[in-house]
Amino acid sequence: MDRERLALLKELMALEFTALEFNLYLDTHPTDQRALMEFNAILPQLKAVKQKYQERYGPLTAEEPSSYPWQWINEPWPWEICYE
Amino acid sequence: MYTPADRMRLARAYVPFQIFSQRLSPMEGLLKGTIFPELYFPYRRQHK
Repeated sequence: MDRERLALLKELMALEFTALEFNLYLDTHPTDQRALMEFNAILPQLKAVKQKYQERYGPLTAEEPSSYPWQWINEPWPWEICYE
Repeated sequence: MYTPADRMRLARAYVPFQIFSQRLSPMEGLLKGTIFPELYFPYRRQHK
């Protein structure tokens, strides 16, 4: 996996983690408006990075439409990626 | 909860309610395992 692709994947992982953290926080603090605003602000960023990654490198999950031939099988398995 | 024999209270756990104030950047949060600075308690090597 080349540098640019790995950087984008890491950015995506970081944004997904932040969204999940706010998800868990909001489960116990549903009326925290500032946290809710931060959560809502992260989502478009997450969506944009996910879309950019998938346009360039193929589907992240098998729940995306695929060009021909079937693209999902090309994505490396997580343990095949060198994250360093 | 009381023990029937001596009516003593059993141990209880208390967890203070988290109040959100600041968050780390997404990448720093990913590396530290939390985006909330108040929840970041890394294990440290003990010096003997």
